[in-house]
Amino acid sequence: MVRDNPSITTENLTAVQLMEIDSCTRCGECVQWCPTYDARNQDPGLAPRDKILRWQEYMKKSYGLRARLFGPKQVPEEEIEQFKEDVFDCTTCGMCGTVCESGINTVELWEAMRANLVKRGNGPVGKQPMFVKLIGEYGNPYMADPKERLSWVPDDVKIEDKADILYFGGCTAELRQKKLAFATARVLNHLEIPFTMLGEDEQCCCSALVRTGQYEMEDIARRMARKNVDGIKAKGATKVLFACAGCYRTAKIDWPRLLGEELPFEVIHITEYLDKLIDEGKINWKQPFDNKTITYHDPCHLGRHVGVFEPPRKVLRSIPGLNFIEMDRIKENQRCCGAGGGVKAGIPDLALGVAETRVEDALAKSPDILSSACPFCKRNLCDGRDSVKAESLEVEDVIVLTAEALGIDLSDCEDQAR
Amino acid sequence: MAMEYYSGISDAMRITFVQVMILATIAIVIFLYGMYINLKKWGLGAEGYGQKPSKGSIFTFPKTLAYQLSEDGHGHKQNIIVTLVLDILLQRRIMRRSPLRWFMHITIFVGWMTLFLLSLLMFLVELLHMAHLGIGPEPAVFREFLGPINDLFSYILLTGIIIAIARRLFIPRMREATIAYDSILLGGLTLITVTGFIADGIRNGTFWGFGIEYPYAPPAALFHVIISLLFCIAYIPYSKYIHMIATPLTILANKGGE
Repeated sequence: MVRDNPSITTENLTAVQLMEIDSCTRCGECVQWCPTYDARNQDPGLAPRDKILRWQEYMKKSYGLRARLFGPKQVPEEEIEQFKEDVFDCTTCGMCGTVCESGINTVELWEAMRANLVKRGNGPVGKQPMFVKLIGEYGNPYMADPKERLSWVPDDVKIEDKADILYFGGCTAELRQKKLAFATARVLNHLEIPFTMLGEDEQCCCSALVRTGQYEMEDIARRMARKNVDGIKAKGATKVLFACAGCYRTAKIDWPRLLGEELPFEVIHITEYLDKLIDEGKINWKQPFDNKTITYHDPCHLGRHVGVFEPPRKVLRSIPGLNFIEMDRIKENQRCCGAGGGVKAGIPDLALGVAETRVEDALAKSPDILSSACPFCKRNLCDGRDSVKAESLEVEDVIVLTAEALGIDLSDCEDQAR
Repeated sequence: MAMEYYSGISDAMRITFVQVMILATIAIVIFLYGMYINLKKWGLGAEGYGQKPSKGSIFTFPKTLAYQLSEDGHGHKQNIIVTLVLDILLQRRIMRRSPLRWFMHITIFVGWMTLFLLSLLMFLVELLHMAHLGIGPEPAVFREFLGPINDLFSYILLTGIIIAIARRLFIPRMREATIAYDSILLGGLTLITVTGFIADGIRNGTFWGFGIEYPYAPPAALFHVIISLLFCIAYIPYSKYIHMIATPLTILANKGGE
């Protein structure tokens, strides 16, 4: 008798991850906290525990006792397609992993499932497949000529050819939200910290490919990571500063994995660096804010994924004229802005729904400014703010606020925020 | 009537050493086969990030787990002792989320594990007694000694089970989300506990015997033993009971979790 092939493979899942799937106790804690489950009117298919249960069933049908005795039982293709939709309807914010009583590393699990499904021919979704072509061809997801990467640099900004510190701008700050790159470069110059940049040799960090399960496609993510790491080495840098939480997370966690080696430099978020400078008494604020109330949104990639919670708060608290208040859900319990995991590009309405809720979290505290430390968060929170018509709420990055408080003029920056 | 059997291995009446040993062996074989299948299934995964899937060797999973345990990992590098004590034994992750759920789970965990260990201990004492080695306490005396401890942990277990059932019945969110996968776990646990109380009640003539006459005590005990062996051991790898093995391993592998 010819037996059917299993409907699913175990590609991209580790042996430990397959075991983790069996460890779910279905306590339901993840369901209570999932931002996309909430934004989709509590669609049961989006509940993290439901996704785990379904994969567990697919594994049983394909490789369990019955499958061993009588051959695999097929999983209908429509079911797998629906499963794909549900796995991609997730910002990979990691809230489910934080509250998981079984300690399942859910972010890694969702990304592994996505990569598995992509290889199978299911997914990614929306505009996400374009990432492979765009990043592969242009080295960035915005179809921009690499020469444009430093087109924002004003005459007064001094970038060294080689230095101990390298600022990795990232595609979004260099090609879209240029105010962020402006602010970072001018702050470093103002503080007399020599730094270098990769310029047109900089490649996309490939966060978008990793998050959407496409990191093995055409080997782009690994090749880009290699080029970036080699470029940074060639610049003589031992410390690399990131003002983008997405790039930071990818460099810190994903690059070493993609390359199978430790990075020969330290990966530092700009807020961590500023925190250290504040401790050393090297920052003298010159332009106090006019008694503004500010709150801070933890980017998932900076906070929950890596554990950087205090430095951005410390920077904001130290700026004169800012009255810092916290939202109810902060730090490891923070609610995602909705932009991560490729959702902004793949499922924009879902991204907006989650952003609206996060903006409402902020509005409940009546701040003048909602700050964050990630260009993606900023962009999506701006969209959420506009959608709930909270025009008076300013959404701004910590580094931009830092620049302003240092008296740095950013008015000459052409910010292509969208 | 004098006590004629203890953990179920004397030749008294219809419950014999041979019967229990055969049942225990069958349960263990079924358990081991289930774990073999699980190890083969887990062993289809890769040994590390970005690597090709393995071919289902039973050694792949332990090897991958050992590697993950030794790896520095990201974010935190929690000490293994801290993980074992705080996250696995004391179940800190549940406590952080819900003190009531923690109380429910810890009572079930402590009650279940202690009763299991006490049963093993009683079994060992009777084995030594039957082997006429002249070591170990008299089974009757030892059983009397264990009596109050058994009672205490039985009630601790029962408390946890009652809370678990009440949550499933009276909290709408829990009730609506309950599926057969969950019910079988709780049903099995309840059955083992209740049959244990009844078997003990008949044997000792207490409230839990519900007035059933003593001759029914051995079959009641045998039934309890069979149910316990099936659910406590044999059924673990095939059901939600697998979390008793997989959850501590997951917490270990992820160094206490995020």
